[in-house]
Amino acid sequence: MSGKIRIMERKGKDLYERLYLIEVFKGMVVTLGHFITNLLDNSKLLVRHYPEVKPEIPVRWRGRHRLTVHEDGTMKCVACFMCQTNCPAKCIMIEAGERIDGRTEKMPVKFNIDLLECIYCGYCVEACPMEAIRMDTGIFSVTGSEREPFVIGLEELLATKGAFTEEEYKKGGA
Amino acid sequence: MSQLDILLLILRVAFAAFVPLCFIAVCVWMERRGAGFIQDRSGPNRANIFGFRAGGLVQNLADAIKLITKEDVIPGHIKQKFYFVLAPVIVFTIALISFAAVPFADALIINGKQYLMQGIPTDLGILWFLALAGFGVYGIILAGWSSHNKYGVLGGLRAAAQVISYEIPMGLAIVSALIVYGTVNLTEIAQFQGQLLFGFIPMWGVILQPIGAIIFIIAAFAETNRTPFDLAEGESELVAGFHVEYSSMKFGMFFMGEYVAMFTSSALIVTLYFGGFQIPWFSTETLVNFARPISVLLMVLMPAFAKLFTFWISKNNKSQYERVDDPRVREANVYIKGIWGLVAALEIVLFIYLITVSGGVADRILVTILQIITFLVKTTLMCFVYVWVRWTLPRFRYDQLQKLGWQTLLPLSLLNIFVTSAIVVALG
Repeated sequence: MSGKIRIMERKGKDLYERLYLIEVFKGMVVTLGHFITNLLDNSKLLVRHYPEVKPEIPVRWRGRHRLTVHEDGTMKCVACFMCQTNCPAKCIMIEAGERIDGRTEKMPVKFNIDLLECIYCGYCVEACPMEAIRMDTGIFSVTGSEREPFVIGLEELLATKGAFTEEEYKKGGA
Repeated sequence: MSQLDILLLILRVAFAAFVPLCFIAVCVWMERRGAGFIQDRSGPNRANIFGFRAGGLVQNLADAIKLITKEDVIPGHIKQKFYFVLAPVIVFTIALISFAAVPFADALIINGKQYLMQGIPTDLGILWFLALAGFGVYGIILAGWSSHNKYGVLGGLRAAAQVISYEIPMGLAIVSALIVYGTVNLTEIAQFQGQLLFGFIPMWGVILQPIGAIIFIIAAFAETNRTPFDLAEGESELVAGFHVEYSSMKFGMFFMGEYVAMFTSSALIVTLYFGGFQIPWFSTETLVNFARPISVLLMVLMPAFAKLFTFWISKNNKSQYERVDDPRVREANVYIKGIWGLVAALEIVLFIYLITVSGGVADRILVTILQIITFLVKTTLMCFVYVWVRWTLPRFRYDQLQKLGWQTLLPLSLLNIFVTSAIVVALG
């Protein structure tokens, strides 16, 4: 454990800095500069006018979940429980049932995600063997005034569309 | 007492009572928008009444409504409920009445009778302020103690120690200022500063007493518990310090008291060191003698300022993003119309004054109004300095605070007294 010892030079010990007032005035000139610039032209403020101007969401950003579908409209999910098993927050609750569209044997009859529990880690997306669950909706603001609507079900998950094209998603995500 | 006496009495008391209260809104607004601009963000600018935001001033109204309608909690563990309620009242009232002795215009002479333009027309002047300023901290100590909370007590103790440390340099700075002015009466002090040094420099306290001014300003910052001396409510270590147990309007009283104290001490700094109500190079007598040319000058200058101001409004009061039929532009147009209407009204008033009543009493009243405006502008600028310092400097550590007070400011102010007295004696 013999690291290289570097002795840092102590600042603020000479008379010029200990007078303090000069340094205070230097600092105040800096802040006044910002104030005057912004007062004269408030388009120079470094802010996003949020509710009206939305931030740009990158492709790899993990937003609210959605369930994808095949080209013919049948869902990709096969109710393998991989995402539910992998979920560290235990927010996914799947109930499997018999498949009726003939693709495989199983499909979920219930697929609930409790968004209040979810930590948006993306493990479910990585675990999914069918690329059925994705977090590419770009929805970053999940709000509500009651607890119940935060548990979203199968219909809502299927109805939400991705915010990006398949090509963009593959480029950014994989 | 004649009717005029009573009218002037009411006017002066109303001014001394309501102007500090109005300045709470202005100071809070200046603090929040100023902080925003200094940190390159916009500050609260959304609250509106029918789309009128008044540059964010409406936010104060929203905050006030919130504070008034919130639940007023007195925690169950508090034994001394009377003192708990009394504390914010002390802080607020003391701050408010210490403004009463500050003159906001030169003595008004009507029919040979002199009216001091102060809330309380007294000769006590600076002594009134000194007596009350230290008393304001009792409210803070009482709040800390009666909260029965370790953070509250610590905050109160810190406030007490801080005021003891900074009252002394403040008093000594005032002593050296009094040596120069030769009076404790604030109106006379401000009149003294209307003179000219070497015939061209305004004889302001800050020029005669630069070190005294710096010491006084620093001590005034400490006295009002403002950054960099706001250890009493240091939120990083004491949660909220002395007002940690207060909620609703009782907290609001502390909050308002802080801003009234800020306004009062700004007014006092202005009166002692920045010429008070004096317009530089224009003493009261000059103004009265040249009232007509000055009012003509005002009539020319007002539209010019209004033009600049409206240009600034139309440039800045618009949405920074694409918007159909931008409501902010409509809002700005209303403001611009209002400003031009105000300018037109003032022009008419000044015109009527010029052709009918100029000369005599009307001149003196005009000068008084001009001086009140000057005083308020100077005080607003000083309040801005408070805001500016708050958003520039970090808080002192406790030992640094005491060291600065006792080891730097105290010897410096003593030295200042000796040097000042020596010069005053030498110059006779």
